[in-house]
Amino acid sequence: MVADADASDRAPALRTRGRRPSTLLGIRTELAVRWRIVLGVLGVASVFALWAYAAYRPQAGSSVLVPSPARTWHALSQMWSAGTLRSDLAASAQRVAIGYSISVALGIVLGIAIGSFASVEAFLEPQLGFLRYIPATALTPLFLLWLGIDESPKIWLIAVGTVFYNVLMIADVARNVPREMLNAAYTLGAGRRTILRRVILPHSWPGIIDVARINLAAAWLMLVVAELLAAQKGLAYQINLAQRFRAVDTMFALLIVFGVIGLISDLALRALRNRLAAWARP
Amino acid sequence: MTLHKKLEVRGVSKTFTGRKASIAALEGVDMHVDHGELVCLLGASGCGKSTLLSIIGGLEPTTEGEVRIDDELVIGPGADRGMVFQAYSLFPWLSVSRNIEFGLEVARWPKARRRERVDELLGIMSLREFAGSLPRELSGGLRQRVAIARALGPEPDVLLLDEPFGALDAETKRHMQDFLLSVWHRTGTTILMVTHDVEEAIYLSQRIYVLASRPGHVSAVIDVPFGANRGPTVKRDPRFLDLRDELGDLLVS
Repeated sequence: MVADADASDRAPALRTRGRRPSTLLGIRTELAVRWRIVLGVLGVASVFALWAYAAYRPQAGSSVLVPSPARTWHALSQMWSAGTLRSDLAASAQRVAIGYSISVALGIVLGIAIGSFASVEAFLEPQLGFLRYIPATALTPLFLLWLGIDESPKIWLIAVGTVFYNVLMIADVARNVPREMLNAAYTLGAGRRTILRRVILPHSWPGIIDVARINLAAAWLMLVVAELLAAQKGLAYQINLAQRFRAVDTMFALLIVFGVIGLISDLALRALRNRLAAWARP
Repeated sequence: MTLHKKLEVRGVSKTFTGRKASIAALEGVDMHVDHGELVCLLGASGCGKSTLLSIIGGLEPTTEGEVRIDDELVIGPGADRGMVFQAYSLFPWLSVSRNIEFGLEVARWPKARRRERVDELLGIMSLREFAGSLPRELSGGLRQRVAIARALGPEPDVLLLDEPFGALDAETKRHMQDFLLSVWHRTGTTILMVTHDVEEAIYLSQRIYVLASRPGHVSAVIDVPFGANRGPTVKRDPRFLDLRDELGDLLVS
């Protein structure tokens, strides 16, 4: 017995095989929720830290170029209480809403047609291949010349600047409808119209919403270009105006507004996708 | 009862023309299925058996030859030839009963009749408890049952099955085979099924067309000696075993 106890005392530690996976840096491993939250908060905090450092660092005059978070917040609340933020936001959002709706609608019609009919694809592919490499921003002067300086050139700039991405990406979505599903519908007696309406469209909805969500960023990009050139209202117009007064706090506040709008619309479109197409939820 | 040819394939050839070379997938295939018969197309992978089924379904044109149903020429797909695929053919956004109803809606059945028919098929296929489920919530075997129910919905003249149990595990597969036999007895539908599984072909069919490859052609036609009311015990019958060996040799050569 004594000998046994001695033996177990002296027994070497259990040898191991393989490499223990890393908690934080395992490639494509699941991350615990608590770590997700910690890292997320840390990420946001580090941005604020960097911002605060840039604003408060000792060199004199630096805060003229980088406003402190407090000053930015102040500028934001001032714009809000004065009511300008609301009217600028409304003007910009309306332009994006109208222009981008046109773009998405065209994207759905043309994209589904190209993705479903080889004939339509053959007819439209050369033009699309050519046109999509023309930077839409380069069309701005032409649009101002053709459409004046009111709302329509801005709306059409947003529509034209995003429509090619929407068409081509939605065409890919339509192409991804499995052949077996089309064949099943055919052998159930469905004709072309039924298949488009009751197979290709429902199968494509989640993909279409995803495409619209991704390209929405480009719509805001086009809005900024349009408002910088000719506008009396709008978020980007205000940023441009703030430059003249070297009001960096206003500029920062407006940039934050852009970011928040993007975040909210992204979440809203994700929610819409999950509601409309619960069957495709991951 | 007069036996007549429900489905007839006459001298069908199919050549796929590629960029560099054309491939002869089928050459001079003749076959038929009588009214109410269950027939299998047996062959190794790549012998063109699925292509032949697609041609019969009207999903693929022939290069030469023709397909007739009740002596009428097939020129495209239609609800008279219901088809079941190996997988991925259910509409994932529709519930089980809405999937089954799809063909009835296309055929513009009145609503009351549609509901009656869906209910009848849910019963035949033992799917009642899953009527409201989405396809993704079902196992592979259940999904194939839904696919069969959906194909049977508009009361097709012929049911075409393209390796419907190929993706299922052995146990589920045996279960589904018995299931198919009972459905066949109850509905009396004419069935043509593609498979590469020798035992499945013998167990299910009354006649087997063996396809050999390159280019695909009928290398043998075998009448299965068992009656329509066979049970699993038939698999121990010496004739079953002999037939299995014979067909196994045919597939290898």
